[in-house]
Amino acid sequence: MTKLAQWLWALALLGSAWAALTTGALGLELPSSCREVLWPLPAYLLVSAGCYALGTVGYRVATFHDCEDAARELQSQIQEARADLSRRGMRF
Amino acid sequence: MATGTDQVVGLGLVAVSLIIFTYYTAWVILLPFIDSQHVIHKYFLPRAYAVAIPLVAGLLLLLCVGESPRPWAGCRVGVGVMTLSHP
Repeated sequence: MTKLAQWLWALALLGSAWAALTTGALGLELPSSCREVLWPLPAYLLVSAGCYALGTVGYRVATFHDCEDAARELQSQIQEARADLSRRGMRF
Repeated sequence: MATGTDQVVGLGLVAVSLIIFTYYTAWVILLPFIDSQHVIHKYFLPRAYAVAIPLVAGLLLLLCVGESPRPWAGCRVGVGVMTLSHP
């Protein structure tokens, strides 16, 4: 089974379970506080997934390894190359 | 470690995501179990907004991804998903 099919299966199963519980189709008498938590659950899961994605991106940006010495060295080498080439007659 | 603005922006994003997550979790998961006379209910909107606001925000996000030919910095939702699967 492909990954897409697996995801769709899982979504269909969880979605139908949620729908059955929220509409009371199973005839279960859930306490009202549980029902209050249950019906926004899909929105909650989406928002949490979005927050996790945002937080992960931010964390990876903050901890990305900069190589400042290498960057400076590269810039000076670029300047050298430009000077050398323009001395040999190349126009930028 | 990243330097300067990179660090500030990155940590800012982490902070924003944590704030949104804790507020939303308190709103959706915790509030129904707290007595309706408690003072904390004053700090949260009516429950219907807990679905309406993310829905509207999501639609706006999709619209701006659809409008620009190139995704711009504010709409990089896909990048977050990529970093999840390619550590």
